[in-house]
Amino acid sequence: MTSLEKPGIWKKTANGRTALLYLLPSILLFSVFVFYPMFRTIYLSFFLTDQNGDAAIWVGFENYSYLLESTAFINSMKATGLFVLYTVPIGIVLALFFALLANEKLKGIGFFRTVYSSTMGISVAASSVIWLFMFNPSMGMFNRLLSLLNLPQIQWLLDPQWALLSVSISTIWMNIGFSFLILLGGLQNIDEHLYESSRIDGAGYFYRLRRITLPMLSPTLFFIITISLINAFQSFGQIDILTQGGPSASTNLIVYSIYREAFINYQFGTASAQAVTLFIIILVVTILQFKLGERRVHYQ
Amino acid sequence: MIKLLKSSIFWLLILSLAVLTACTNSDNATKEDEKETPKPGASEGTVSEDAIVSIEFWHAMSGTGQESLDSIVKGFNDSQDKYEVVAEFQGTYEESLTKLRGVGGTKDAPAITQVFEVGTKYMIDSGYIEPIQSFIDKDNYDLSQLEENILNYYKVDGELYSMPFNSSTPVMVYNKDAFKEAGLDPEKAPETFSDVINAAARLKKGEMYGFSMLTYGWFFEQLVATQGGLYVNEDNGRSGDATEALFNGPEGLNVFDFLDTMNKAGTFGNFGTNWDDIRAAFASGKVAMYMDSSAGVAGAITTAPFDVGVAYIPYADEVKRNGVVIGGASLWMSKGIAEKEQEAAWAFMKYLTTPEVQAQWHLDTGYFAINPKAYDEENVKEKWAEFPQYKVTVDQLQDTVPGLATQGALISVFPESRQQIVTALEDLYQGKDPKEVLDKAAEATNRAMEIANKTKK
Repeated sequence: MTSLEKPGIWKKTANGRTALLYLLPSILLFSVFVFYPMFRTIYLSFFLTDQNGDAAIWVGFENYSYLLESTAFINSMKATGLFVLYTVPIGIVLALFFALLANEKLKGIGFFRTVYSSTMGISVAASSVIWLFMFNPSMGMFNRLLSLLNLPQIQWLLDPQWALLSVSISTIWMNIGFSFLILLGGLQNIDEHLYESSRIDGAGYFYRLRRITLPMLSPTLFFIITISLINAFQSFGQIDILTQGGPSASTNLIVYSIYREAFINYQFGTASAQAVTLFIIILVVTILQFKLGERRVHYQ
Repeated sequence: MIKLLKSSIFWLLILSLAVLTACTNSDNATKEDEKETPKPGASEGTVSEDAIVSIEFWHAMSGTGQESLDSIVKGFNDSQDKYEVVAEFQGTYEESLTKLRGVGGTKDAPAITQVFEVGTKYMIDSGYIEPIQSFIDKDNYDLSQLEENILNYYKVDGELYSMPFNSSTPVMVYNKDAFKEAGLDPEKAPETFSDVINAAARLKKGEMYGFSMLTYGWFFEQLVATQGGLYVNEDNGRSGDATEALFNGPEGLNVFDFLDTMNKAGTFGNFGTNWDDIRAAFASGKVAMYMDSSAGVAGAITTAPFDVGVAYIPYADEVKRNGVVIGGASLWMSKGIAEKEQEAAWAFMKYLTTPEVQAQWHLDTGYFAINPKAYDEENVKEKWAEFPQYKVTVDQLQDTVPGLATQGALISVFPESRQQIVTALEDLYQGKDPKEVLDKAAEATNRAMEIANKTKK
């Protein structure tokens, strides 16, 4: 190490190698649990699989072209799109509303903060079962309420017109806790001085909300929108418990349809093709969001 | 410096490997713990632990079924000291089948697995299993003591591949009090499709619908079979691999028209795909007649606050009644495990088919006794005297005309086909054309069968 020569390649890359060293554990874990399954999925999507789920017949892009022509899959994509539209905007607006309320410094506000974030503590399975009871056509709470008010009964989970909406309502409820908590954290981080000085300037509540709170909260909002979108695309548990994709496939979201194809029909090839399609859709949506949405994000 | 780097990489590798293997190990560890927990009874014997052959039994029975099964397993373990059976609940039929695919054919596979009736073809093709016919032949086991109509379903090419266990058939359950109110004879249930349609029209009153059926492919299959209709070609898939669905023929269309007529008339109640929902609807007086599994009869009688009648399933007016196809599940023996484990599994299966065990099973769950001698047991006779409805389910099975239709279809893609029927029924209830939705389901089934035949080894 005492020569006057130019540093060799080994030395030049010292930084890179150290970085790799630090990354090694996660690279290892990721390759086993993420990269390998991902490449395996892409590989399988070009095959028809036999009964043991092994690749049997190479079909090239036939699985994909079948999907794009299949009315069932197009219907799944539509249902997924609608589901995202129903759940993400309403969920975030509601969570923001609750977070703004709970951000006020009042006596006993801790109680409300706990209540609003409490849905985070309930698993999807448990809360779906609760909703299942409430939606029950014969003895559910909602239909009882309707009959008390002399309104016509609704087949919440059995009417294709209503089923997706019903699942969306329960999903919004389930997701509010998490969004609320993140948004409240963001709100608490906003510098109090900003509000004080604006108050001295005579700014009203809504002016402050528009000019201080929302811009300062935008990184958090951006984060929660991204996460909620991806979550909504990947919803599975509530569908499995509430509707199993029915009625008339109106709630057959893509992830559920993948599950059906793979674990009930044992068609890992077409299931993989669906999974890859979903991956591409989510990727595109996320990229679009970063391109369009991030411009409006105000980082301090 | 370099040395340090190299050795640290080395250690990191080891560490991460350790982490990885730890993840997988923890699973095994818990499983072994379960196995090692001594079962009461097994450890009471004087024979040392090593001599006892312990086998796993994967099942999909929850609730009362599981309780009954656990006590039967305990009875077996107490009855002898050579074998020990460990019953493990593995989720629904679909879930346990998925798990079996992970270990099937290896020595880690459970000795006995309970698989639902529509998985029969899949299991035979899978190569995971030892046909129990080989043990029947070796042991000279007398098959004639078992219910013939049940054996017919599970026999393929004259060989029995699995031991029938929990068997059920569909029945029509009705509200006798509602029949009286509507001026119908509560002791004589409607028999044909048009009888049911007429009765449903008279029974419809306020919140109560006339007739309902769970949106589940199994009931459709039964209504087709009782008219003598086949589900798929190649003799219902029994003389070769089926390639074409036949359920969209005249028999299937009869069923869809039957449901469509009542749906359009507003006398049909749709309670979805969940067994509990339709049973709750019946018990709370929201529907007067519905189709249930014979295994649900006991529950219907005890929960309903009114008199419950049980009848044969309806059939189309222009045909003769053929009867019902057996449903439920059977027990499969694994291949690739030690021979003495297979012997243990066979001993357990034989124990299961004894009249006493079958009587207990029938009374606990409402499933059929696969050994008809069980019906002569005192406790069964008493129960039947108290609830004559139980007997109807057995009579319907024994009145069944043996034939290709009532033997049931054999296709490996049954779960998928059933899903297509569910979608077709749901579309039908939304007012779509019966022929159109049924053809769509047949087409999707054809495609699934085509792929399955193409990829078959």
